[in-house]
Amino acid sequence: MTLLADILTILLNGLQQGAIYVLLAVGLSIILGTLKFVNFAHGALYLVGAYLGLFITGSVPLNDGQLVEWGIQSYGIGLGFIAALVIVPIVVFVIGLLMERFLAQAFYDRPDTDQILVTFGLAIIVQELLRAMLGGNSQPFPQPSWASGPIALPVVGNFPRWRLGVIAITAVLVLGVYALVEYTDFGLIVQAGTLDDEMVRLLGIKLSRPYLVVFGIGAALAGVAGVVGGPLANVNPNIGTEQLVPAFLTVVIGGVGKIEGAVVAGLMLGTLQVLLIQTGYAAWSQVGIYALAAIILLVRPQGLLGSEVDVS
Amino acid sequence: MSDEPRDATATAAADAEAEVTGGLGDRWASFRDREISTVLLTVVGVAVFPFLFNNFLNGYTQLATLILIYGIFAVGFDILLGYTGLLSFGHAVFFGGAAYAAGIFSASVSSSPLLVLLAGTVFAVLMAWIVGFLSLRRGGIYFAILTLTFGQMSFYLAASPLAFLTNGENGFTSVDIGHLLGVIDIHGGVPFPLSMLVDNMLYVFVAVMTVLSVAMANRILHSPYGTVFRAIRENERRAEFVGLDVWRYKLMAFIISAAFAGIAGSLFTIEGNYVPLQSLYWTESGRIVIMTVLGGVGSLFGPLFGAGLYLYIENIVSGFETLGPFWHLILGIVFVVAVVLFPNGIWGGIDYVRDMVVGGEDE
Repeated sequence: MTLLADILTILLNGLQQGAIYVLLAVGLSIILGTLKFVNFAHGALYLVGAYLGLFITGSVPLNDGQLVEWGIQSYGIGLGFIAALVIVPIVVFVIGLLMERFLAQAFYDRPDTDQILVTFGLAIIVQELLRAMLGGNSQPFPQPSWASGPIALPVVGNFPRWRLGVIAITAVLVLGVYALVEYTDFGLIVQAGTLDDEMVRLLGIKLSRPYLVVFGIGAALAGVAGVVGGPLANVNPNIGTEQLVPAFLTVVIGGVGKIEGAVVAGLMLGTLQVLLIQTGYAAWSQVGIYALAAIILLVRPQGLLGSEVDVS
Repeated sequence: MSDEPRDATATAAADAEAEVTGGLGDRWASFRDREISTVLLTVVGVAVFPFLFNNFLNGYTQLATLILIYGIFAVGFDILLGYTGLLSFGHAVFFGGAAYAAGIFSASVSSSPLLVLLAGTVFAVLMAWIVGFLSLRRGGIYFAILTLTFGQMSFYLAASPLAFLTNGENGFTSVDIGHLLGVIDIHGGVPFPLSMLVDNMLYVFVAVMTVLSVAMANRILHSPYGTVFRAIRENERRAEFVGLDVWRYKLMAFIISAAFAGIAGSLFTIEGNYVPLQSLYWTESGRIVIMTVLGGVGSLFGPLFGAGLYLYIENIVSGFETLGPFWHLILGIVFVVAVVLFPNGIWGGIDYVRDMVVGGEDE
């Protein structure tokens, strides 16, 4: 009985840990799979989502950064968490559209390395702008009051309510994107474009608008990930780059462009990390996920659910 | 050396051409193509650099030393990125790994600077053999992400499971550097005639290593071997069709560039007597990417220039009253502008202007 409880607890915690990876990876994956664009600024969008979420939900006293020097003492409008969950994706969606139009588009025909370089530069700009404005200190991001505290689950016992919330929100969003891509005309066009964009264009379908929307959706998912993941840890300018590497791993392990792949891979990494921590090997938890990723990529370079075609 | 005759004929041809046309540009080109002139230029450069740097740019010798160390790192990185076209996001492994290896070697085996340097470099080469072997199976983003993965893995390994060796988050502090060849105090001053330019033995040591590294990079890149790197960058598939074992050449480019990173990492330990854990983190890899791209990929001196610019901004501009807090931001903006508008970096821009003035020469 206790063994079962232990296993379930690890799985639930792994789900929660993996949920953030999944949210980031799904966005990254559809952008990479469809537009063939490598977005190293995806972590920066997560960062923007987290700070924007903090701004909408809270009222954080500031003690560092340029805003303080300019006489602004606190940060936030205190609208509540639900408002953040609605507003942040919309704002970050628009940021995504702008990014696609003014930055990504010019780089579709340039080599992967240039795409990586320019988005890496953009990530630095966003991160340093936030650091300069709001200071480098960690800001606590409070959990929404309606989801704080534990909840009694059968078998497992008490489990933090917010962690269940993270799992639920992720599940809803990912299922939504999956349905959009799999069961709508829009998704059909996007999928066809992924396979052979030249052919789709020859059929008279303009791809630039669907691509724009895909980029926006990917960005919005990163923004939501920031809001959802914010309350799990403090918010500081480094969290964007910290999340980027595991998110990228999730994408390539799962298979580029495969939403199911991102889900499976994210949950694998999350569960492994939690498993190592809860069995007393906390020191190895980070090494473990990178080692697992390396092994999988060496055996299956196209990723768990990727097809051979995807590998350049 | 197999490339000797080719070099000689190339120089002779260039000489003959210069005689016929006698243009300033041609004469410059023939001068520049000679190996000896590249080395001499580097020697003159590193000799007057601290003097100019200290007296006119608010710099100081320690920063000049650090610039040369990162310059070596960047020159090596450019062999991979600029000449072979492979973007590694895990080069901190070789820099930081060599720094740790050098530090641990100095503390437990021998404190002789040359042996420490050798130990660090050999360690970096061995690491690169493994990491390159594993990462080079796929190109493009897969390569970038696999190198990133191995980089992060080594960072987290050094952070806790191997903390008994690396001293974890505090960094490795028990570095012990002895006298060079048993007689020269590497952290001491320099005797009279030289001391008019440089006041610091460490700088002289690093400068000699820089000249050797640049000479080595120049020799590699101008040999048939280096030509293959460029062929791979231009069109990998075509290089394969010609019958070249592309994979092997890519692995060698990776190992060579890691060797430079290893030299730089070991010098970093000798210079600072300390190895920070941060030297393995992926932002360190990002720094070298920025330096190289900013300075100019695909040129010999561009990366050196980029390293200088980056560290100058980081150490001097960041102290300015109003710009200080924004220095990283400014650097990010400059970097993005460089990637978008000047893919060959600042050095490429200078080249472009010079070609317009002196008359272009095609490569």
